[in-house]
Amino acid sequence: MANIEIEPGAAHESVLVTTESFGEMTSSLEEIKCSSSSVSSHLEECNNDNNIIEQFEDTVSFVGDNNTDGEEAQELQKEWLGKEKHVFVLSFAGKPIYSRYGNEDKLAWLFGVMQTLVSFVQSNDDCIQSIHAGDTHFVFLIRKPLILVAVSKTQESYHQLTAQLNYVFNQITSTLTLTRLNKIYEQRQNYDLRRLLSGVERLIDHLLDFFEREPSFSLGAVQCLPLSPSVRDTISSSIVGSCSKIKNLVFAILLANNKLITLVRMKKYCLHPADLHLIFNLVQASESLKNSESWTPLCLPKFDSSGFLYGHVSYLAEDCQACLLLLTVERDVFFTLSDAKQHVVEKLRRANCLEAINESLNSSEVKCASAGFPEIRHYLYKCKSTAQFHQPSLSPLYAESKVHLINIYKRVHYRLHGPARPLKLVFERNSEEALLAWDTKGFELYVVFEPLIDTSFAINSVGRLLNWIKKREDKLFHLNAPTF
Amino acid sequence: MVTQIIAGLKNFFVFNSSLSTSEGDELEKILYYYPISDNTDVQIKNVGLVEGIIHFTETFRPSSSVSSVHTEKSRQLYYQPEKGYWMVMTIQLNHITKEKLEGDSGELGDDVQDNVYEAVLKQAYHMYRLFWGTFQGTKDTDTLKMTLEIFYRAYLQSLKLVNADILNIFSGIQYLPLDKQTFLKVQCFINSLESNYMMISHSAFLYNDYLIWSGIEPSDMQLVYHYLIDTLLPANIETELQGGSMPRNSPSPFAALRHGRFITGPSNLRLAKTVGKVPKVFFYGEQKPEEYYLVVYRALSATVCLFVKVETELTLNIFKDLDDFISPKLISLVSDIAEYCSKQVITPNMADNSPRFIYFNKMNLAYKSTVHLDNKQSGNVACMKDSVRIMADMKLNNSYLGSSGETIVKTMSDYWVVGKTSNAREFYIALQQKNASLIDISEEVRKLCETELKGIFFHST
Repeated sequence: MANIEIEPGAAHESVLVTTESFGEMTSSLEEIKCSSSSVSSHLEECNNDNNIIEQFEDTVSFVGDNNTDGEEAQELQKEWLGKEKHVFVLSFAGKPIYSRYGNEDKLAWLFGVMQTLVSFVQSNDDCIQSIHAGDTHFVFLIRKPLILVAVSKTQESYHQLTAQLNYVFNQITSTLTLTRLNKIYEQRQNYDLRRLLSGVERLIDHLLDFFEREPSFSLGAVQCLPLSPSVRDTISSSIVGSCSKIKNLVFAILLANNKLITLVRMKKYCLHPADLHLIFNLVQASESLKNSESWTPLCLPKFDSSGFLYGHVSYLAEDCQACLLLLTVERDVFFTLSDAKQHVVEKLRRANCLEAINESLNSSEVKCASAGFPEIRHYLYKCKSTAQFHQPSLSPLYAESKVHLINIYKRVHYRLHGPARPLKLVFERNSEEALLAWDTKGFELYVVFEPLIDTSFAINSVGRLLNWIKKREDKLFHLNAPTF
Repeated sequence: MVTQIIAGLKNFFVFNSSLSTSEGDELEKILYYYPISDNTDVQIKNVGLVEGIIHFTETFRPSSSVSSVHTEKSRQLYYQPEKGYWMVMTIQLNHITKEKLEGDSGELGDDVQDNVYEAVLKQAYHMYRLFWGTFQGTKDTDTLKMTLEIFYRAYLQSLKLVNADILNIFSGIQYLPLDKQTFLKVQCFINSLESNYMMISHSAFLYNDYLIWSGIEPSDMQLVYHYLIDTLLPANIETELQGGSMPRNSPSPFAALRHGRFITGPSNLRLAKTVGKVPKVFFYGEQKPEEYYLVVYRALSATVCLFVKVETELTLNIFKDLDDFISPKLISLVSDIAEYCSKQVITPNMADNSPRFIYFNKMNLAYKSTVHLDNKQSGNVACMKDSVRIMADMKLNNSYLGSSGETIVKTMSDYWVVGKTSNAREFYIALQQKNASLIDISEEVRKLCETELKGIFFHST
């Protein structure tokens, strides 16, 4: 392949951490806070959408070889078995904490079996990782003090499933903090954690659904809302202008429709994409946030798993559905942040930025065909230095089968990044499509072509595509990393 | 970067849960267990864990039963060849942490590939079944335990875990392509042999490590072929080289070479008093299982396998008679084949960096490899070992390609590996040139397909 030097979307400084490690970051809340305050465990209760799930849980009977009375129960058992991906969370003592489908209590026997398997292998000074049986993969993740298990028929790899379990674990720590989680089990091994996690189940459910639809998780990147650079800069500077005086404000994040508009940060501190994904998930999953301003404690596990940040969360205005999060280490500055938010909205309204955001939200991304690439069906472009990615809107071919497309991307992503034998480039031609996955120092590119494309034409097309993205980079990517 | 290194076979066992009915007699269900150094408590515990895993996985109705379990320190492979009978093989792994690899030196560790080692375990069963028949068909449990012990004690010793690769998955046969004339001569020889001796049901003909003719189903021939190539022939060639079978007092030392001999059965017809050991084999390729004596005769570089009906009473006279019939015909036939082969420059001396390939056809189980420098599974390969592993990765990915497809990948050390499939055929190529572009590579592969696979249709360019 020709050496292509351009690297659309690259920037010297990034708002996001771009390391791909799963390790914890070294940020410390203590560092930010001048005086340490004890961590509160107040949880926001948002049970609005729980009714349907609860009803389902009440009627579903557990699956096994007994207890199946009546046809209805068998029907439900069939339904439970037909699920593509189960996720279970349990304590080291085998106490059920979460099951994606079905009622944990009725599945208690299954949790018991999983706990036994894990501890049995551990007794041999070893650690169980996965079991493979035909189309079904069982993946175990042991993250003290919890055990997480995925049972999947989705053809995702061990590493992709482990990543999802890590996210689930992070979602739990995000509401409790790791420190508290550990303390709970140090005190009582048999603790029923579900008491503290009401409302979180819904977030985990949503997170797992999110994973199946969004490429951002496997890419470890976020997508930005396309905006002209002047608009984005105005938005950023309005936020900076209204908030720079506020002490200990760490991050201000503006997002809409699962896309980032801007992220303003305290000097020295960066946000990990994985933490940002949790924030996206929180906003996406909580309809109730739309109605009023909320104040919520939030632990960002990659940022600092030991304590909470406090978030002022609100939508900009009735007529602009972008969500602003102001994250601070102070516990009691709701009104200060509420005022600041009003200032931001006024400034944005005066500068016509709300209209610009709405306009971008209402217009769909350019399709490949109309951008002059009829041979390309879809692509993902990730700029590594900023951990941001871009994708065109779906061509009619995949509009109905988005999951199929995501699965294609997951599969080639794994081939490129398989831990045993990572590759620099994969070009695959099958009966349905031709795929190119390319990993360079600066970017990753995944392209789905028409199946009969000539190889040299495909290469040529990739070169043109990169140039095309380069030309539009300041619109598609958030290239500045503004600070307070 | 952490890589796995195979530290050896941790255990290997065969069990059937239904053989133990009550608590306390768990040992009953274990039909074979290696190593014997594991005491019975350990054996029962290990089998118990496997049973637990089987039950647990069945809860979720997988499309097929459990095939592998990964733990940090081991890899366990499962195979249920017959209902209720499970075979389990556990490979011990060591982990080593490597500094980030640079450029040329980039060779990763062994990295246990499930599809390769599942194939190793299946082969272990099929080899047993070739000589002893099915587990179920065995007279009683004690006999089964005994035959398993006899077979696997030797078999596990010969297992080459470290060098197992994609060829184990294929477990293919190398054919020798001949011209029509020579091939007809071989066929005439086989026909006259089979029609003169009604006791011979089928036969097979090999020249060196290549199969020329086989009258049995490919799935059965595959096993006989591997038994011959991997075990029987190498052992005999060694004795030939040591001069063990050559009568030293014969008038001319060449006279002996000009004469064939039986490898199974009486090895020296002049001195033999009994027919010696003639193994039985079980074939399952046809509708109903069949049992034959396997008589192997070898002269110069040719090997003739005779599958003799088990009702036949094998006597020394039969062998002498066969020898008189086969020897002169075979000697002249071999010289014809040798002459033909010498005219064909099969593979010109390949430069070190020329493309290396593996071809496999599922229909006749034929394979050809210029990647492997010998047939001994010695790990002696002409390209990066990682390239061979990438081929096995590609094989795993083939299910996504549909009836035909192509994959081209560039490795971290800038080598290229290409895989092509079309219907039942698979073609994998390791290209050793660096700094090539994707376009160069597809051109190179097109040329290679033209020269090596003339007349074989590969869909797409």
